[in-house]
Amino acid sequence: MAYHNQYRPPHFNNAPPDQSFLWNIFQRVDKDRSGAISDTELQQALSNGTWTPFNPVTVRSIISMFDRENKGGVSFNEFAGVWKYITDWQNIFRTYDRDNSGFIDKNELKQALTGFGYRLSDQFYNTLIEKFDRQKRSQVAFDDFIQCCIVLQRLTDVFRRYDTDQDGWIQVSYEQYLSMVFNVV
Amino acid sequence: MNFQGYGAPAAVGYGSGFPGQQQQDPLYGYFAAVAGHDGQISAEELQTCLTQANFSGGYRPFNLETCRLMISMLDRDMSCSMGFNEFKELWAVLSGWKQHFMSIDRDMSGTVDSQEMNLAVSSMGYRLSPQTMSCIIKRFSSNGKISFDDYVACCVKLRSLTDLFSKRNQVQQGMAAFQYDDFIQCTMSI
Repeated sequence: MAYHNQYRPPHFNNAPPDQSFLWNIFQRVDKDRSGAISDTELQQALSNGTWTPFNPVTVRSIISMFDRENKGGVSFNEFAGVWKYITDWQNIFRTYDRDNSGFIDKNELKQALTGFGYRLSDQFYNTLIEKFDRQKRSQVAFDDFIQCCIVLQRLTDVFRRYDTDQDGWIQVSYEQYLSMVFNVV
Repeated sequence: MNFQGYGAPAAVGYGSGFPGQQQQDPLYGYFAAVAGHDGQISAEELQTCLTQANFSGGYRPFNLETCRLMISMLDRDMSCSMGFNEFKELWAVLSGWKQHFMSIDRDMSGTVDSQEMNLAVSSMGYRLSPQTMSCIIKRFSSNGKISFDDYVACCVKLRSLTDLFSKRNQVQQGMAAFQYDDFIQCTMSI
């Protein structure tokens, strides 16, 4: 169950990428040569397979995950993490996009999330797609898929913080509930 | 941004009290113009509808995410769309919030600051601690300012979350219990 297994994208590649390989990429992406990759620069470097800009919310989530100094961008030492994170997601996406359409449809999403350990109703998948699908195709593109998984993971993390006896139940006050949710969704 | 000032939707006397038939309801015209044969509107159609009805008055029209939120607030059958009766209900609620916002946005700038937002939320009847309020304000403000659209998004979420909470098992006064799978689904449905 996703709840009891701390979900992390599986490791597909045990060998860390070559530093000069990463440095080449970093330099190309850091167009203004500021020494840090900003949200905009990362957004421009990523593709979601739809010829539309990569979801800026997802870009923000990724940068803030790796930006240890809260400077609004990632430096070269932080970039290795970003690179690996995105590569892992690409591999996961390819794994679950079984018909190779470049999109994950409702069934493929079900398989992905069930595979990650979530137990969600069939009707809820409609809600997830409606909520995250920015292309309005009733399927999720790469960037929206990542965003969906990030939000689910954040909710899981916040739930876990309150479930001190780890039995899958929490008891919270109204204000605790509001704070939990407003920090995530 | 130039604001022409607040006003009710052009040429529509909402509240002129047409009892009975839907078709005679002035709001119905706006609704029918975007709804398809199924008599339901999606988030995009709601956005068009509210913009055409000049609901936002001098304010920027609602963004799509806010429209999606408004639909899910009233979406009892999880169909992700809204019928005419829900639309009327939404209109009434939105009008109230708009009056509220306008009364606080004294300089008619289209945004309010966090103190004014604090006031707005508590005057809607919510009694929240300063920590919870600052968490909420942080979530909805950009550069310390809250636009009308953000304000509506905040009101919708507060209302939906409050309803959700009150429906959960009340284990003791003021506390609710959530099971994990249920927590994920109901929270994400908002």
